[in-house]
Amino acid sequence: MNKKIPNFIYTNQFGLLCLVLIFTLIFSTSTDGFTSRFNIFALSRVIAIDIMIGLAMMVVILTGGLNLALGAIGVCAAMFGGWCMEVLGIPIIPSILLMLGMGSFLGWINGIITVKTGVHSFVVTLATMSIYFGFMTMLTEAEAFRRLPELFTDFGSAKLFNKYVSPLLLVSVATCFALFYLFRFTDIGRKLIAAGANPEAAELSGISVNRMFIYCHMLSGFLGALAAILLTTRIGAAIPSMAGQLGMDWLLPAFLAPVIGGTLLSGGKLSVFGTMLGAVLVTLLTNGLYLLDVGEFWIRFFLGIILLLAVLLDRTREYFTLKSVIVS
Amino acid sequence: MAALFKKDWFGLLIVVIVSGLAIAVLKPAFLSPFNLYVLMVSISYMLIIALAQMIIIAIGQMNLSVGAIGGLVAISFSGLMEVQQVSVPVAVLIGLIIGMLCGFLNGYITVRSGISAFIITLATLYIFKGINLGITEAEPFYNIPETVKNFGNAKIGNTPIPFLIIIPIIITFLMWIFMNRTETGRHMLAYGNSVQSAELIGISSSKVVITAHVISGFLAAIAGMLVVCRLQLGTPNIGDSWLLPSFAAPVIGGAILAGGKVDVIATSLGVLIVAIISQALVIFKIDPFFVQIFLGVMILLAVFVNRYREYKQEARRKIFSSE
Repeated sequence: MNKKIPNFIYTNQFGLLCLVLIFTLIFSTSTDGFTSRFNIFALSRVIAIDIMIGLAMMVVILTGGLNLALGAIGVCAAMFGGWCMEVLGIPIIPSILLMLGMGSFLGWINGIITVKTGVHSFVVTLATMSIYFGFMTMLTEAEAFRRLPELFTDFGSAKLFNKYVSPLLLVSVATCFALFYLFRFTDIGRKLIAAGANPEAAELSGISVNRMFIYCHMLSGFLGALAAILLTTRIGAAIPSMAGQLGMDWLLPAFLAPVIGGTLLSGGKLSVFGTMLGAVLVTLLTNGLYLLDVGEFWIRFFLGIILLLAVLLDRTREYFTLKSVIVS
Repeated sequence: MAALFKKDWFGLLIVVIVSGLAIAVLKPAFLSPFNLYVLMVSISYMLIIALAQMIIIAIGQMNLSVGAIGGLVAISFSGLMEVQQVSVPVAVLIGLIIGMLCGFLNGYITVRSGISAFIITLATLYIFKGINLGITEAEPFYNIPETVKNFGNAKIGNTPIPFLIIIPIIITFLMWIFMNRTETGRHMLAYGNSVQSAELIGISSSKVVITAHVISGFLAAIAGMLVVCRLQLGTPNIGDSWLLPSFAAPVIGGAILAGGKVDVIATSLGVLIVAIISQALVIFKIDPFFVQIFLGVMILLAVFVNRYREYKQEARRKIFSSE
C-alpha cells in the first residue's frame, strides 16, 4: 500500500496535475474573468476538441509514426458531414456515422500505404495531407456549409452543470475512458501496444504488426473525425479553413498534448490520461496568456516555448527516474 | 557517357527532358520567354528551400522550421532596411546571421537533449513564427530599397534568365562540393547512415548535427531574402507554404528519410520536375488546388518507385551472394 503512493508521485500525470492546479491558481488570482462562468464554459469547449485531437495523434505515435494528415482528415470529415446534412438531407445520427466512417477510411489509406511501402509515415501523411485537402477544396469549391440542422449545432452551444460545462467535454472524457479501457483491458489494445513497442518481437509472438499499424491509423482517422464533429457543432458550420491551411493548425495541439502527457515518440508507450491532462494544460495556458494581455501575436511564441520546455523537462524527469532506479 | 547511365539520377533527368518536351509540343506557350522567366524564378528559391531540407534529411532528421526561419529572416531583412534604414549589404549579413543562429538553436537543442529533431523543430517553428508575428503584427513591410527591387526584377541581358537564379546555381554547386568532396559532408552522410558506427569511427555527433542545422538555417535565410527580392515586399507569411515542397524535391530525388542517402543533383532534378509540372498545370488552366493534389501524388509515386528499386537491388544482391 505504501509503495503505491510514491509511484504515483513519480509519474508524469502527477506532475501535470500539479502544473494544472498551479496555473489555475495563478490565473484565477492574477486575472479577472478566468473563473467567470463564461470563460470556464468557453474553456471546456476548447479543451474538449484539443483532447480529441491529441488522442487522435497519440494512437499513431504509439506505432512510432505520426499523422500529419490529421487536420486534413478532420476537415474532410466535417465537410463530408456538412454535405450529407445540408445537401442530401440525411438525418443527424447517420450523418455522424458517415463522418466517422469517412475519417476511418482516410486513416486506413494512410495506414495501408505506410505498411505496404515501409516508408516512414511522415512522408506518406505529408503527401496524403495535401491530396485530401486538395480534393476537399476542389469538391467543395472552398464553400462552407452553414445551414446545418439546429439540433446538431445546439449540441455545441448547450450548457450543463449550472451552465459551466459544455457537453462536448463529456464526449471527450468518455472517449478517454473508452480508449483507456481499450488499451488496458482488451486483447486488441494490448496487441496494438505490443506492436508499437517492439515490432519484431510482436511479429514473432504471432501478432500481425501490419494489421495493428493499419488499425492505429484507422483509429486516428476516426478520432480526427470525432474532433471535427465537435468542432463543427461548436462553430455551427462546416468550414474548409476550420483547421487552417492544409489542416496544419491542428498540428501543434496534436503533438503538444501527447508529448507533454508522456507518450513516447519512438512508440510503444502511451498515456491516455496524460494526453488529456496535457491538452487541459495547453488550453489553460493559452487562455491565461490571452487574459494576461500577452497579445495575440505572441501566443504562438509562448506555445512553442512551452512545447520545448515540456519535452526538456520530460527528458530530465526520465533521467532522474532512471538514475534512482539504478541507485536503488 | 556510360557512367552517366549508371547514375541514380539518370531516370530523373529523362523525366525532366520528356515532360519538358511533351509540354512544349502540346502547348508551345510553355517555351515563351515570359513563361521560362516565371519558371526559372520559381526554381531559384525552390532549389534553395529543397537543399535546406536535404541537408537535414542527410543526417536522418527533419527540419519543420525551414519555412519559419525563412519567414523570420525575410521580415528582419525588410524591416531592418525599412525601419532602421540599414544598408542592403549589412541587412543581408544580419539576415544570414539570424538564419544561422536559428539553425544553431535547432541543432544545439537536438543534440543536447537527444529528443527527435521533429519535435524540437516543431517547437522552434512556433517560436520563430511567433517572433515574426510579434514583430510585424501581421503587417508587411512595403518600402524595400530600389536596389533590392531591381535585383529581384533584373534579367541577364536580353535573355529571359532572371538574375536571381545565379545565387541558387552557385549554392547548388557549393553544396555538391560540400556533400561529395569534403570531410564534413561525408561525415554527415555516414552519420545519417548509422549513428552508432559513425560515433565508433570517431565522428562527433554534436559537430555533425549542429553544422547541418546551421547550414540549413543559412540556406533558409537566403531563400527568405530571395523571396523578398522577388515579391518586392516583406510579408510575414513568407515561408508558410514551404513545408510540402521542401520535402517533395528531395524525396522525388530519391532521398531516404532514414538518412545517409541524399544527392544534390537528384534533389535539383526533383525541384525541376516539381516546377515544370506545376507550371504546366497553370498553362493548361487546371484548378490551382489540383497542384496540391498533384504534389502529394508525386511524393507517393516517388516513394513507390524508390521502394521498388530497393527491392530490385536486394533481389540482385541475393542472386550474387548465392553464387
